[in-house]
Amino acid sequence: MNSLSRIYALANNTFREAIRNKLLYMLLGFSVVMISSGVVLATLSYVEVHEILQDMGLAAIRFFSVGIAIFVGIGLIHNEVDRRTIFTILSKPVSRNEFLVGKWAGLTFTVWLLLALMAGAFAIVSLLAGAPLGLDHLVAIVLIGLELMVVVAIATFFSSFTTPMLAALFSVGLWMIGHLSRDLHALGQQSEVGTVTTMANFVFLLMPDFEVFNKTLEAVHGLPIDSGEIGLAFVYAVGYTVCTLILGAMIFSRRDFK
Amino acid sequence: MTDKRETIVRVCDVVKDFRPGFGLRRKRILHGVTFDVHENEIFGFVGPNGAGKTTTLKVLMGLIRATEGSASILGCDVAESEFRHQVGFLPENPYFYPFLTAREILDFYARLSGVPASERARRVDQLLGTVNLGHAMDARLKTFSKGMLQRVGIAQALIHDPKVVFLDEPMSGLDPLGRKEIRDLILSLRADGKTVFMNTHILPDVEMICDRVAIIVKGQIRHQGRIEDFLPEAGRKTDVVLGGLPPETADSLGERFDLKMRGLGDRVELQVAEKDVHQVLDSAISAGAEVVSVTPQRNSLEDVFLDAVRAGGAPE
Repeated sequence: MNSLSRIYALANNTFREAIRNKLLYMLLGFSVVMISSGVVLATLSYVEVHEILQDMGLAAIRFFSVGIAIFVGIGLIHNEVDRRTIFTILSKPVSRNEFLVGKWAGLTFTVWLLLALMAGAFAIVSLLAGAPLGLDHLVAIVLIGLELMVVVAIATFFSSFTTPMLAALFSVGLWMIGHLSRDLHALGQQSEVGTVTTMANFVFLLMPDFEVFNKTLEAVHGLPIDSGEIGLAFVYAVGYTVCTLILGAMIFSRRDFK
Repeated sequence: MTDKRETIVRVCDVVKDFRPGFGLRRKRILHGVTFDVHENEIFGFVGPNGAGKTTTLKVLMGLIRATEGSASILGCDVAESEFRHQVGFLPENPYFYPFLTAREILDFYARLSGVPASERARRVDQLLGTVNLGHAMDARLKTFSKGMLQRVGIAQALIHDPKVVFLDEPMSGLDPLGRKEIRDLILSLRADGKTVFMNTHILPDVEMICDRVAIIVKGQIRHQGRIEDFLPEAGRKTDVVLGGLPPETADSLGERFDLKMRGLGDRVELQVAEKDVHQVLDSAISAGAEVVSVTPQRNSLEDVFLDAVRAGGAPE
């Protein structure tokens, strides 16, 4: 119980700090502009007007929320060490693991809150444009929320041992690979060289698969979403997050704070 | 004389190596540092810049890991975290979240330290009053001066009523009045039964309030012990300035006592062993001399400190 209350205190403080970041509001503003601009783009087409609007809207939500998660997450631990605020925190009965989890939880809650705001903007724009809104859209947005949970864990992981610049490069790179890993895997399977296939399998297993969380196509075009896939995405998100945080905690626990 | 009080902090042969940069050779910062801090004492840890004071303190706070050796507080290995609800720590030049108020930051640390919700608000208000920040409780920390941040730092170190308090340069950034207040606060902590470990450069403060001292130079403990051990009574001298001392009395004093004498116009300055002061004064007054001044001369801690620094060659 004590451990949970300490993690809550750290998460709450991280949230309060994150919402003071001006970059966050800039990205949130851009995302709302992008979601709204779907109305303009949709007028360029005579067919699938609503699909273009919503496809554009969900893509903007994913892009900007991941951007916020990465660009706030990369400084999450580094800034605490750099400003030496970590000295007083770790001198209290707070373990390094609790510190890492608290920071991750605070930022995850922050990006979930922003995701909810973006989803609200998406719903308003869709309703104003007369586009249909259903449970599938909610599922697509919840899955983006799960993706954000993993992205924050990855950014926290890199932030626990490297500089913000490198953490940004690694996190963005991993997110991009995560959306391409299925294609890389499929390409590997088609290769006649055994080593290439094995390598492709290895990369697919090691790298995150963010396409698990991408149900934009199904939501926009009204295609059915298998509940098993949603369950799998949930388990995958929790599993990947826990593994990433454990790995981060192992590295973080060995660090010296000079 | 052996101290039978319980050992609160034990540092045993602690060695710390750092790699200054990627691919560079490791540099040894601490060379087998060993000392004990006893219950209910104020322990001064002094040394020049770069001597290893803060590194030792960081080892004790679990912020860096010792390469070799062991360190414990209240019998617990410093790598653990659960026992830290009994430990308070003020880092050097503390920095806090600037967007929080003094009250909010102390509430945050109180939560981390496991202070019960029913006690938190009372404890926060009480401590802010103790460090003279009662007037600035609800001001954001970004508006605070260096001295005010130092007071917040001291308050957060005490928020959970710890048994042992570690202070890294507690007088830093404080004006003379502030320094006196913090000295008084440290003395009151000892009066409350707490143990205080203090890193500082300000030797007169150490002399004034510390029970025991360790001097660290280039990563090695050069001296440690009680303040009185550093400043032995034997050999202490007193300067006595006399006016109108008859020449024959002066000659007689020179023959009877081991003293140095020099003329200052119509006055005479004598450097007398402390044990002989009374007799010298009695003889001089009986001979009709006027006592102008009597000034005890002691080896200050600064002398011991400077000798240790000058004598210290860095082991490689």
